[in-house]
Amino acid sequence: MTGVIGLPGILVRVKLFASLRRHRPASAAGPDFVQSLTSGSTVEALLEQLGINGAEAAIVLAGGERRDPGYPLKDGDEVAIFPPMGGG
Amino acid sequence: MWQRYSRQIFFPPIGEEGQKRIGRSSVLVVGAGALGTVLANNMARAGVRRLRIVDRDFVEESNLQRQILYDEEDAARTLPKAVAAVEKLRKINSEVDYEPVVADVNPGNVRELMAGVDLVLDGTDNFEVRMLINDACVKQGVPWIHGACVGSQGLSFNILPGETPCFRCIYQDPPPPGAAPTCDTAGVIAPIVNIIASIQSAEALKLLVGDREHLSRDLASVDVWENSFERVDLSNARRPDCPACGERRFDFLEARTGWLLLSMCGRDSIQVSPPPGGKVDLVEIAERLGQLGEVARNPFLLKFRADGREMVLFGDGRAVIKGTDDEAVARSFYAKYVGM
Repeated sequence: MTGVIGLPGILVRVKLFASLRRHRPASAAGPDFVQSLTSGSTVEALLEQLGINGAEAAIVLAGGERRDPGYPLKDGDEVAIFPPMGGG
Repeated sequence: MWQRYSRQIFFPPIGEEGQKRIGRSSVLVVGAGALGTVLANNMARAGVRRLRIVDRDFVEESNLQRQILYDEEDAARTLPKAVAAVEKLRKINSEVDYEPVVADVNPGNVRELMAGVDLVLDGTDNFEVRMLINDACVKQGVPWIHGACVGSQGLSFNILPGETPCFRCIYQDPPPPGAAPTCDTAGVIAPIVNIIASIQSAEALKLLVGDREHLSRDLASVDVWENSFERVDLSNARRPDCPACGERRFDFLEARTGWLLLSMCGRDSIQVSPPPGGKVDLVEIAERLGQLGEVARNPFLLKFRADGREMVLFGDGRAVIKGTDDEAVARSFYAKYVGM
């Protein structure tokens, strides 16, 4: 995959769950979308780009594993982000 | 016995052998609110041997929209939920050995509450207690099934110690206070509760009959208003650096316990909990408080109104003080009228 024109970049597939869906880019057709990032971008950078506050992203899974905010995303990663859900 | 369970015995993955296994099992349901009443209902009807239900709260009118085991009379009687749930369940299936427990689950009593159970079902409504359940279950190797919902959304996943990620592999720490919307602040509709608790119940049946092959290794996420049903594979989500299942450090279980004050988010209430092992004489306190304000009492709790606030005091010394979200105010109200 290729990234932002002119910059070495990566593309990740993002899926936002529950109340985080409101942060989906207007251009996204389905529940998931492809996000372009500069190489070496971390989970934290992705959240910032999507306008998601760190406390709202209770679970971030990339490549099937929970990732910390400092995790550098890789080209082709599938990222699932969940808000905290405590009720019951 | 077989007539009662015939329809689930005809279901081949359960069969007679599966029914016998269900009939030998002990299940703990933590929390008897929306999820918990559906869970307890399903377990009682399925015919488990022993069902222990623990809840710290009492029935209120606002519960009736979704908490399936309660009715208007329970709310009028201010019955503790664990007691009201078991009253109802005895009419549904009298063959089950029920153990209602009116208590707040804490590091001091969680071990005792889990004694002898094969499975723990999550009907709770906050992260702190789930972290504690996770610590206790991971430490003792007891499976538990997480469920949570708010609004029209919910999720569930299984925690099978040693096999699947545990709760702390997924949520390392509880979110900061106020970060998670609650049913009291964001609302909740009954259908999502029934769906999530039913997913949990199906997983529970698989586990009780020993069909581990069919147990879900996914996180199931549902939004019943947005028409979304999704699954995310968690089979690689175990963290070797997980404090609980990786490093076997049980922070929540080992937390020191003293007086605990807990804001009940969105309810303008504070819960005041004395150290474990507390006990108060409700009759004596009711007599004393009767001279200072308005008191009503049943065998499990007393309600007291004074200074524009309402306090519900339970037999274990725990109180919910309504009409404030200020811990200092709640503490001084408790100190003034109950003593601490």
